[in-house]
Amino acid sequence: MAQQANHPLPGGHQLEEYTIERQLSLGGFSIVYLAHDPEGSQVAIKEYLPNSLALRAKGDVRPIISEEHLGAFRYGMKCFFEEGRALARLSHPNVIRVLNFFRANETVYMVMEYERGRTLQEFIHKHQGHVSERFIRGVFTRMLNGLREVHSHKLLHLDLKPSNIYLRGDNSPVLIDFGAARQTLASDQPMLKPMYTPGFASPEHYGNRKELGPWSDIYSVGASMYACLAGSAPQPADERLKKDTLTPAMVRWEGQFSDRLLEIIDWCLNLNHLYRPQSVFTLQKALVADIHPPHVRSGGWIGRFVDRFRSSPR
Amino acid sequence: MRFTIYQDSRQGGRDNNEDRTTYCYSRDALLMVIADGMGGHHHGEIAAQIAVQSLANAFQREARPQLDDPFRFLQKGMSNAHHAILDYAARHRLEDSPRTTCVACVIQDNVAYWAHAGDSRLFLMRNGRVIAQTKDHSRIRLLLEEGLITEAQAERHPDRNKIYSCLGSPATPEIDFSRKTPLEHGDIVLLCTDGLWGVVSGELMAVALKGANLLQAVPMLVAQAEVKGGAHGDNLSVVAVRWEDNYVEAASSAISTQTMPVGEVTTKLDEFGRNPSYKSDLSDDEIEAAIEEIRAAIDKYNPKK
Repeated sequence: MAQQANHPLPGGHQLEEYTIERQLSLGGFSIVYLAHDPEGSQVAIKEYLPNSLALRAKGDVRPIISEEHLGAFRYGMKCFFEEGRALARLSHPNVIRVLNFFRANETVYMVMEYERGRTLQEFIHKHQGHVSERFIRGVFTRMLNGLREVHSHKLLHLDLKPSNIYLRGDNSPVLIDFGAARQTLASDQPMLKPMYTPGFASPEHYGNRKELGPWSDIYSVGASMYACLAGSAPQPADERLKKDTLTPAMVRWEGQFSDRLLEIIDWCLNLNHLYRPQSVFTLQKALVADIHPPHVRSGGWIGRFVDRFRSSPR
Repeated sequence: MRFTIYQDSRQGGRDNNEDRTTYCYSRDALLMVIADGMGGHHHGEIAAQIAVQSLANAFQREARPQLDDPFRFLQKGMSNAHHAILDYAARHRLEDSPRTTCVACVIQDNVAYWAHAGDSRLFLMRNGRVIAQTKDHSRIRLLLEEGLITEAQAERHPDRNKIYSCLGSPATPEIDFSRKTPLEHGDIVLLCTDGLWGVVSGELMAVALKGANLLQAVPMLVAQAEVKGGAHGDNLSVVAVRWEDNYVEAASSAISTQTMPVGEVTTKLDEFGRNPSYKSDLSDDEIEAAIEEIRAAIDKYNPKK
C-alpha cells in the first residue's frame, strides 16, 4: 500500500472556536497545530489522524477513511481518548494541560496549552556534550514534580524521553505527549500494543508488562539524563538484556560530573527494576539532597565497619 | 544446538486471528507448534490456544534438557491437547466442541520428529527444494492421490478446506507421524497454516528462503502472502527454523543453547488476550460519551474554565 503523508489543515482554517495558524509537528498518528482561540491566546491542537488508516488529500478538510479501516481507526481513537482522560485529570505546572476536547471532521481533537519553548531533545542537540550538571539537576528535579503528580493518579507515562520533555523560555520543564500513558489499575482494558522508544524504554516494556511500574518511568528518566551527557540515546534495553555494552555513567564521565549525579543515573538504569529507585520521591530526594543511593552504601558499610574496627581500642 | 528461528502470525482479511504459534527450546531440544482454530466452529482460537499451550507446557516439564522419546512426547502431547479441548467444551457446556488443526515438530540430536492432524503443514527444505512434507488430512488430498482430480481442480474445489482429522472433535483424531529425519547444516523446517501454503507453494517458499536470513525473508514472504490473500484472505502463520549446527559467522541472530542451564526452557508464546488489531466496535454514542467524560474532567480539574 502506498503511504502518503496526510495534508494538514491550512493556515486560517476555522476549527470550532479556534483558528489554525500552522502545523507544529506531524507524527504517524496525529498532526499538532498551533492555533489561537477567540481571545487571541495561542493553543496547541492535536488532531487524531493515523497516516495508514485515514487520508486527507490536499485542500480537503475531512479525511477519507475506507470501510475496511474504520474499525482500526475507531480502535486508535480509543487510545487517543485514553490520552485525553489521563491528561484531563492532571493539573500541574510541569504537566501539559488539556483545555478542550471535541469531535469534528470525522475525527477528534485535543486542545492543549501552548507556550514558546523547545524540547529537551532540541536542547541536547544544540548543546551537544555541553549540558551542565546544574541544568540537568534543575530540569529533572522539576520535571519529577510533574511525574510524581502523574504517578499519584495511578498513571504511568511510559514514553518518557527528551523529545517529550518540553522546556519553557525559563527552562522550566513540561511533560508532553501522553500517547502511551495507561491507567495502571484498569487491567480489564483490551490489550494494547506497547508503544515505546528504543533507548528510553525500560526492560519491562519489552518483556513482562505486568512488571511495569513507577520504576519503568524511572528507567526512562535515567536514560534521558544519560542522553543529556552522551548527546544520544543509550543502548536499548532489549539489546542490553542480550549483551550489555552500555558504559556506566560513573565510568564514562568520571571526574567531569559529580559522583553523585553519575551514581543516580546508573541507579536508574539498572536492568533489574527492583534495584532502581522505587518511587519518584526516592529519586528526587537523591537528586536534591545529595544522599548516596543504597547500592553504594554497601561499600560504605564495609568501610565504616573497617573504620570502627581500626578505631576500636585494643 | 545452533539455529535461527522466526515465527509470525497475521490476521489476513479476517475479523479475528484464530491461528496460534509457539516455539520453545531447552539446551538440547527444540519444539515448534502451529495450530489453526477452525472458524466454522465457535471458539476456534480457544482450541488453538489450548493445543499450543498444552504442548509447550509438556515440553517445559519434560525437556530436561532432552525428551526421552520425541515421538511418544508428540503422541502424548497431541492426545492430551485433544482431551483438554474436550474438557474445556464440557466445562463450559458448549454444544459443539471447538476444533483446531495442529502440527508440531521436535528437533534433538540433529534429528527432526514431527506429527500432525489436519491441514496445517510442515515442509523440510534443503538447498532450495522441499524434500519432505506432511500430507493434509483432507478429502481433496485423497482425491488427488487417487488421481480423481488434478492439482488445478483441487485449487478451486468447493471442499478444499474440509478436513477429516483435527483436535477437539468428538471422533478420535488421526495423527500422522514422520520418520526420524536427520538434519543437515542449513536445512529449513517450516511449519505453516493453510493461509500461507494456500497462496505460496512450498516449492516457492523453499526457493525464496534458500540462503536468506530467515529473520528478513520470512516476514517478507508472509507480507507478500497476506497481500496475495486479499481483503478476505485467511489468517496466516508460520514458524521457521534454519538448523545451523556448525558455527556460522554471519548468523549473529542465531541462538546458541550451549550456555543454558540444563533445567531451563525458553518459550516464545504470546499471551492469550484480545489481539490489538481486533476490529473495534466503538459506536458514535460511545465516542460522544468519551468526549463528554473528558470535558467533564477538564472542567472539574481546571478551575480557569
